[in-house]
Amino acid sequence: MNVTDADVIVVGAGPAGSCAAIELARAGRRVILVERGPFPGSKNMYGGVVYPRVLDQLIPSWWETAPVQRWVTRRSTMVLAETGALTIDYRNPSWGAPPYNGATAYRPDFDNWLAQHAVDAGATLVTSTTVTGLLRDERGRVSGVRTDRPDGDLTASVVIACDGVNSFLAKEAGLYPHTDPANFTLGVKETLALPKSVIDERFNVRDDQGVDIEILGGTSGVNGGGFVYTNLDTVSLGAVLKLPKLAAQKKRPEEIIAGLKSHPAIAPLIEGAEVKEYSAHVIPEAGLSMMPTMVADGLLVAGDAAALCLAAGIWLEGVNFALASGMYAGQAAHEALARGDVSARTLGIYTERLNSTFVLRDHKKLRKIPGLVLSDRVQQKYPAFVTGVVERVFRVENPSPKPGLRRIVKEERKKAGIGRRDLMKDGWTGLRGFG
Amino acid sequence: MTIAVCSKWVTPVGRADDRFAGVSPADQAALESALVWGERTGEDVMVVTAGPIGAERALRDALACGASRAIRLDVDPSAPTIDVARAVAPLVASASLVWCGDYSLDRGSGSFPAFLADVLGVEQALGLIGLDLTAASLGAVRRLDGGRREILSIVPRAVVSVEGSVARLRRAPLRALLATEKLPIEVHHGSVDGEDVALVPYRPRARVLPAPAGSSALDRVRVLTDAGGAPARTETVTLAPDAAADRILTALREWGYLA
Amino acid sequence: MDAPLGLVAVVPVRDGVLPAGGLEALGECHGVGVLVGTDLEGALPDSHGVATRLFLAPTDSCAPRVLADAAAAVLRSHAPRLSAVVPASPDGRDLAPLLARRLDRALFAGATEVSAQRVRIARQGGLAIAQFDVHSPFVATLQPGVRGVESRASVAPDIIHVAQSSGVTAAVTSERVLPPDVSTMDLAEAPRIIGGGAGLDGAERFARLGEVSRALDASMGVTRVITDRGWVSHERQIGTTGVVVDPRLYISFGISGAVQHTSGLGQPDHIISVNTDAHCPMMQMSDLAIVADANDVLEALASRLSSEAQRGVA
Ligand SMILES: Cc1cc2nc3c(=O)[nH]c(=O)nc-3n(C[C@H](O)[C@H](O)[C@H](O)COP(=O)(O)OP(=O)(O)OC[C@H]3O[C@@H](n4cnc5c(N)ncnc54)[C@H](O)[C@@H]3O)c2cc1C
Ligand SMILES: Cc1cc2nc3c(=O)[nH]c(=O)nc-3n(C[C@H](O)[C@H](O)[C@H](O)COP(=O)(O)OP(=O)(O)OC[C@H]3O[C@@H](n4cnc5c(N)ncnc54)[C@H](O)[C@@H]3O)c2cc1C
Ligand SMILES: Nc1ncnc2c1ncn2[C@@H]1O[C@H](COP(=O)(O)O)[C@@H](O)[C@H]1O
Repeated sequence: MNVTDADVIVVGAGPAGSCAAIELARAGRRVILVERGPFPGSKNMYGGVVYPRVLDQLIPSWWETAPVQRWVTRRSTMVLAETGALTIDYRNPSWGAPPYNGATAYRPDFDNWLAQHAVDAGATLVTSTTVTGLLRDERGRVSGVRTDRPDGDLTASVVIACDGVNSFLAKEAGLYPHTDPANFTLGVKETLALPKSVIDERFNVRDDQGVDIEILGGTSGVNGGGFVYTNLDTVSLGAVLKLPKLAAQKKRPEEIIAGLKSHPAIAPLIEGAEVKEYSAHVIPEAGLSMMPTMVADGLLVAGDAAALCLAAGIWLEGVNFALASGMYAGQAAHEALARGDVSARTLGIYTERLNSTFVLRDHKKLRKIPGLVLSDRVQQKYPAFVTGVVERVFRVENPSPKPGLRRIVKEERKKAGIGRRDLMKDGWTGLRGFG
Repeated sequence: MTIAVCSKWVTPVGRADDRFAGVSPADQAALESALVWGERTGEDVMVVTAGPIGAERALRDALACGASRAIRLDVDPSAPTIDVARAVAPLVASASLVWCGDYSLDRGSGSFPAFLADVLGVEQALGLIGLDLTAASLGAVRRLDGGRREILSIVPRAVVSVEGSVARLRRAPLRALLATEKLPIEVHHGSVDGEDVALVPYRPRARVLPAPAGSSALDRVRVLTDAGGAPARTETVTLAPDAAADRILTALREWGYLA
Repeated sequence: MDAPLGLVAVVPVRDGVLPAGGLEALGECHGVGVLVGTDLEGALPDSHGVATRLFLAPTDSCAPRVLADAAAAVLRSHAPRLSAVVPASPDGRDLAPLLARRLDRALFAGATEVSAQRVRIARQGGLAIAQFDVHSPFVATLQPGVRGVESRASVAPDIIHVAQSSGVTAAVTSERVLPPDVSTMDLAEAPRIIGGGAGLDGAERFARLGEVSRALDASMGVTRVITDRGWVSHERQIGTTGVVVDPRLYISFGISGAVQHTSGLGQPDHIISVNTDAHCPMMQMSDLAIVADANDVLEALASRLSSEAQRGVA
């Protein structure tokens, strides 16, 4: 085999890329990790919660060194109607102790910390360098990358594309059948500064305990969902919005954030906070239905680049899928190199591994959920319906006797304009989806 | 002979974190100018920085850009500038030209190059905003106040300092970058005592009278402290392009900027 | 002379012109100062009312070393115990370190306030002040504009003449001095600035922006996004990492008003902004905020100005 600049070139030092690089460097492979930002994570934004369980394999007791803001000890799901709000709240203080569950963290810290593990393991990190294309050998197999630097071509046996959503590399490799805007949501987020003590008090946590709130409704009629996460002395508040609906409604994302912030259930949480930063980013949302082919001769695709992000309105899990898929891509590349065959067939180990683990299993199990959660019915009608029912159950109308729950449900369902069949159908999909 | 570049590693205010640290545009312009001048005269370029280990990132980049030697002087750069200059001087004593930035982003005294020149016993040409690197002798435009400029011609040996605008540093070729990636950097040790002065938040002093218009450094500094106050009332209007253009011209007439 | 331990201004004069901050330096020193440089008499009238006692040390060139040698000689013989305050103008900044070395004194560069015992210096881009208590004579440069000047009845100062000194420069020769000229005058001194940002959609827009600027005899400035794109050279970048300006009029096209930009903007009397986002900081700090497409407005403005120019108006 002819001499290459590296065994593997990993494009993108996000969660996926760094995990791939860690695996390979530890296996003794020559890895070059190429990142366009001035340092890993510098330009990366997300909501704010990571569920890094999968790191247990890669970085034992990662929680001792990971740059964490707060440990999520409280998860809530809010359903917002015009004024009313229903919150399902779960607390578990044991999540605030090893081995922990989820944490809020800033990406410039987290990604940089993770990439450092790759460097420590022997990977070469090149920053401020953008990959602009793929190199191919005479037989059309991917054989390296072209970058925007002078003298910037790099050859390798395998290229792993971890370049994030809308992966330019996966597209250039022709791995995306079609890219339909309907498959993407727009994530917008504000970082709001508040004193730690105020956050502790308003969110009812202490020390390094944190809160993860997912929100259904409250997005000004644009299908999507919202989120509120607590950092040490800032709160991340944002929304994930269906692009087509956004366009149709002619609403600016800022307006929708403003609407969310002013909802009676949210406003008190963030009152008096100063906006530190506003950012927006596209999220692959349609799950399985939009995933590209993830393997080609000499090429693997991981993380958001492979649309392995679970974004279904009230869910926003991508980092954990990125970490895992990156790790498996790294393993697959290593094994293929060991066999001296980096053809798509051998690299297929990667997809097998994804299929046999949560990465694709979760996606398969939940494949109908994004559609459901983002459906007009769930988005436009259920919040009013659900909160309506609860409101009636709790309202006291003495002297007239309390109505039965059945009757309330029926009346509220009618009021919200939801057919009985639809309700049952959605319920069934939901059950199957989560069950 | 060699050409020397003095480059300072600065961490931006409020972000004492190497991730955000770097070299000022002025120092980058100095390096680029030195490289171009070196290509013309066939001299090697040596980059020197007095600062912490983090600075080696910038030195590697300089090597990748074409510098042939990089030295980190391991002294505390917060020392009085004269002491830093004295410590750096021996390293650049043999240089035909020493290139600096006009002032550093943190200390910002602009005095290092002058001190260095005096310690080396050579002449100085500081605060250059234009260069002619093609002629036999180095041609330069120096900023004077009130918009005046001084045209200089410079022959070695001398210390020059440039503003960031004179050149943009080339991007290091990728292969060169990889080659310098793990290269050990030449470290020299010196001893100067860092100055620890108590810093207090800036409060503009009471002015005797408003400063003469045009030279209001205070206003500039003050703006840096509170990023410009909003005027009492903003008139916000949504207009079609033509209407907008007319509205602008009307305003300029109202305010007396146009006849 | 036996003045009490105090301050004396050292003011470099170039062809009869006082430097920026020259009068403030004199004011800080209670009117006592040394003028060094060329055509000192030419600068005297401007010093009336502020200067009380001036040593005139004429030189045959404004080379920093020549100025420093002359100033050092005067201080040694006439004011050995006085600390020197030099305006932090280009010439002042260049001569002060040399002066400090010749007198073997400490230098405090970029001071905001100077007294015989205490110097306060702006650090960290003016966000913080470093305070030094001093017990022996020093040299300080005073930032122009921080003090202002008292204008007393225009009295002529006592004048003490010192012998003309001369010096030769071998390596750095001053060919000539260009007068201010709006078209070459760089942003920093421009009284009118028109700024363009990422809201303008292409390199050629900035050629247009340049035309409009000239028509309104303003200088053109841009944001870092634009210089990063290489559409306009770095010297046109306004802001903390670019040029710090202080215009009376600022017109912005498609600029969001990020703090790094606005913090370099000074405090203009009038600001006009064109932006599609009515709520961005730049619009909020404007007197006239026009919600519109900056590209179209720029073109419309350009055509109006050119036609007005033909009609000899504007
Ligand atoms: C608003 C929002 C909120 C979210 N909230 C959450 C959340 O709370 N929890 C969660 O788990 N996930 C969340 N996600 C999803 C999560 O951010 C992503 O799934 C995750 O970042 C994917 O990681 P990645 O490594 O695949 O891609 P990325 O994190 O996008 O990393 C890609 C990297 O590649 C680099 N790159 C791109 N192109 C090139 C190129 N051509 N050359 C060189 N480098 C390149 C980029 O600079 C970047 O560093 C959220 C996403 C958004 C938009
Ligand atoms: C350490 C550091 C130093 C920096 N130093 C500087 C500096 O010295 N100078 C500087 O300028 N920046 C500096 N920056 C960058 C700064 O943070 C901003 O990124 C930059 O100023 C933004 O420039 P912009 O307004 O042109 O672009 P954006 O922030 O992208 O704003 C574009 C604006 O145009 C508007 N717009 C879009 N389309 C249109 C249209 N068709 N018509 C009208 N309006 C439209 C948008 O609403 C937006 O307000 C620095 C950043 C850092 C981190
Ligand atoms: N510690 C340092 N190491 C190398 N060069 C320096 C150092 N400090 C200052 N310089 C150079 O002197 C210029 C002016 O810095 P200053 O005098 O601190 O404003 C900088 O732009 C650098 O070129």
